[in-house]
Amino acid sequence: MSGVVVAGGAMTPFNRRKDGSGMRDWARAAFFDAVADARLEAGDIDALVVASESDFFTLQLNPAALIADELGLFGIAAQRVEGGGASGHLAVHAGAAMVMAGRARRVAVVGLEPSASHLPGAAVGALYGLSFDAWTDGMTGIDSTSLYALSVQAFMEETGAGQDDFAAIAVRNRQNARANPNAHLPLDIAAADVAASPVIAQPYRRLDCSPLSDGAACVILAGAAGLPDGGAGRARIAGMGVANDRVRLGERARPGRFEAKGVAMRRALAEAGATAAEIGLAEIYDSYSGAQLQALDGLGLAGDVVGAEREGVFAADGALPVNLSGGLLGQGAPVGATGVAQVLACALQLEGRYFGRRVATPPRYALADTHGGVATLNAVSILEAAR
Amino acid sequence: MKYRLTLDYTVPEGTLAPYFDALRQGQALAAQCTSCAATSFPPRPICGACGGREMNWRDLTGRAGVVRRTDTENGAFALVRFDGADGLATVALANPAERQAAGRLAVPPDARPGLWLQLENEDDDHA
Repeated sequence: MSGVVVAGGAMTPFNRRKDGSGMRDWARAAFFDAVADARLEAGDIDALVVASESDFFTLQLNPAALIADELGLFGIAAQRVEGGGASGHLAVHAGAAMVMAGRARRVAVVGLEPSASHLPGAAVGALYGLSFDAWTDGMTGIDSTSLYALSVQAFMEETGAGQDDFAAIAVRNRQNARANPNAHLPLDIAAADVAASPVIAQPYRRLDCSPLSDGAACVILAGAAGLPDGGAGRARIAGMGVANDRVRLGERARPGRFEAKGVAMRRALAEAGATAAEIGLAEIYDSYSGAQLQALDGLGLAGDVVGAEREGVFAADGALPVNLSGGLLGQGAPVGATGVAQVLACALQLEGRYFGRRVATPPRYALADTHGGVATLNAVSILEAAR
Repeated sequence: MKYRLTLDYTVPEGTLAPYFDALRQGQALAAQCTSCAATSFPPRPICGACGGREMNWRDLTGRAGVVRRTDTENGAFALVRFDGADGLATVALANPAERQAAGRLAVPPDARPGLWLQLENEDDDHA
């Protein structure tokens, strides 16, 4: 069981920046707010892990060294972690591992990405196409939405999930985002709006897709002994799991199922000493509306995930509230920051001090789920409330 | 600030060079495991079924059946099963206006890597 405490955290708004600020500004804002939230000083930080998906987006190689310098941190251990869409979450795991191994006492994990403002959307889309097998997929011009669409078609056929289910998720996550001051798309929409939005790749329409966002998020990780008050009241990372799947969708036995998530989930549960039934809140990687259902299915959070969706299990007042932040669909998706923000949301929910829509009664365990590719590289964390 | 970056990559194809050479001719060259006979297209250097590391090249007909397809503003893409291959492959459809459920591997445009499928009637024979 991990004894790593999420001592504090902060994030910038996720959106398309139009205020002239840049990623260095966002990283500083998230970092210093997180340090303050952890009731620490910047000089207390002895390691930095930076998450950023692509140098093509940031136009900055060796970003860990640059961000450390920007934060005024010198003589510390610094590294960059990358794993596609899971970059931020994997960076949290890397930071936690440093604490667990005794290699650092207080680690700042900074995720950032200028996914929206640096490049035209078409250029970002073309680069995302290289997130899969660049030699067989990306260079045909296939994009992320098309690969997810092919995957979810199989899921629909096997489970009976329909576009109405996806629209309900697209609506609900945007509605959840309306309580989140940092959300990119806090939209007051209805299922009819989703159905009326343009088709991007059948069955997905524009409102089924998460946006490209700018932003940064930071969490401070430490052992209890590294915190002034022993981390009293703060959530801890109880379990972590990572598992990959075959990169090429067609090589998977069941292209519609996110099976590697189940592997990562079992590892995280085993480390936490918890069961799936004890998870009372989840932040799920909803890069697309249908992907949320595929993820919940892969994680094993419901035996009949489509039935559970229709029964309201994943609604804010359901048995397992999902994506109260708005998820990627509502909160947004600056890739390197996404997983960091998911872990932060889980921690703050467990502590009863989340800045957006709060769960009615903080549960004991919350789950963060992130992936790169079409659930190719999967990261799961289980956070536990302080007792 | 504005900054324009133009990149012109030359990417060695390594052990997959015969596959790409064939692809540029519109021919499907698969990898067959010498241990379990699993056939992968596009080819894998290590068998996806048994983990075997000895693979032989095997010519396929290039014909494939469409299992799923999705249409976008910029084209259409599909998961297809090439005759003789054990798994599915992702392809771009070379003639997306067509709706046939089968096709044949096409010569990639501009000699790019990746798989393009020309949809055609199943009884067409261009071999």
